[in-house]
Amino acid sequence: MKRLVPLVLCFIFGIVMIITQFSPHPYSKRVYEEVVSGALIISPFALVLATITLIQTHATRIRRRADHWPYSYIVFAGLITMVIIGVPLGPKDPVFEWLYNNVQVPMDATMFSLLAFFIASAAYRAFRARTTEATLLLVTALIVMLGNVPVGDLIWNTIMSWTPWADQASAAREWVLDNPNLSARRGIILGVSLGVISQSVRIILGIERSYLGGGD
Amino acid sequence: MLTKLVSMDRRIVFILVALAVIVPMLLHVSLPVSTSEPTQKLYDFVEALPAGSTIMLAFDYGPSSFPELSPMAKALLKQCFDKDIGVIAITLVVDGTTLASTLLEEVAEEKDAVNGEDFVFLGFRPGATQVILGMGTEIKSVFETDYYGKKLDEIPMMKNITNYDQIDILVDLASSNTTEAWIIYANVQYNLKIAAGVTGVMVSQMFPYLQTGQLKGLMSGILGAAEYEDLVGVPGKGKQYINVNSFVHLLIVLLVVIGNIAYFIQREREE
Repeated sequence: MKRLVPLVLCFIFGIVMIITQFSPHPYSKRVYEEVVSGALIISPFALVLATITLIQTHATRIRRRADHWPYSYIVFAGLITMVIIGVPLGPKDPVFEWLYNNVQVPMDATMFSLLAFFIASAAYRAFRARTTEATLLLVTALIVMLGNVPVGDLIWNTIMSWTPWADQASAAREWVLDNPNLSARRGIILGVSLGVISQSVRIILGIERSYLGGGD
Repeated sequence: MLTKLVSMDRRIVFILVALAVIVPMLLHVSLPVSTSEPTQKLYDFVEALPAGSTIMLAFDYGPSSFPELSPMAKALLKQCFDKDIGVIAITLVVDGTTLASTLLEEVAEEKDAVNGEDFVFLGFRPGATQVILGMGTEIKSVFETDYYGKKLDEIPMMKNITNYDQIDILVDLASSNTTEAWIIYANVQYNLKIAAGVTGVMVSQMFPYLQTGQLKGLMSGILGAAEYEDLVGVPGKGKQYINVNSFVHLLIVLLVVIGNIAYFIQREREE
């Protein structure tokens, strides 16, 4: 019974939502709107679930003295501080805004900025023309990188000034993105879409049950 | 020497990157930017909208992408306010609320735009897909009030706006896969026109949608921001950052070329 009810609900809602996509009947439209409204109510519960999971994970790490466990106290300190200020006073509260602008924004931006250093170092090590495929990747990367910045146009124009492709750095980048990239991306999108459709059908029909937990 | 060059200490690379960022900033280098077609298309679309039109601007990014995407938002908002186009701002990312409200207030103050008349900020609601689908039926069913707590019925700009039918285009400023969600659920389901401004790493993902016409225009990373600033005629952070970016890209290209030359010489000697 514990497993049957979610399976039946999943089947009914799945079939009904498919029908609403193909039927212009006002009743079908009404059902669609009601289901979307219902889903909007369910969404915030995911946030509650995520918060509970976060607390459980870090409480366990502290209890078991796992690697870097003292950092979990910082997670709790941040969570509690923002909840104490944010929930009663709201997101427009000056203290909440100050914490956001002066703690979260610089920390987040700093973490992301560090990527530039690691990408530069990784590119230097990884982009070696060892094989034909690696050479293709290397040449493509250099064209896109140069086409992505104004200085690329200057360099390209200097090197290619004697060829018919002078002044075409950006065009070369666009060509790479528009042709080889687009073809590969479209293949991926089609593959993923077909996978999603088949998986959805399996879930609606109750063949795929891993979302219920328990592993079968 | 060659071995040292092939396996250069990464700390040297880090120092070189830091110099490539700091030196152009101090020297105030300014390079000319040529406009790419996808950015031009977005600019032309917004430029062709008559006064009194409405665009929806989604701030779907957090602080980590703020330097790349906020110059786009500023340039676009300035263009809209100058042309008397109403802006409905929202965010599908919880981190984006304070960023969006601060940026809107800053540009509004500069352009004398009035909250509720020239722009509305609806804020955040959890559940991206449900929010997109819900607004297609009725915006009020998802956002009863704006970010500042004012009922939508009491906001003059929202009087004649019920759902996507009254929105001319949605511009999604995104650092994750929200643009694809907007395309799948708002464009396909409700025929809402979509354009985007995305971070540099996401640009290649967007090209299939540009080709199909599901994206009316695209600002690609900090280059797109600089291009849009140029088009609107308001040079800002985008132009400043793209100049710095130029030197970092140039450094990486040089490092890759030098690394490969050293690698081939070393391999030849070993053979």
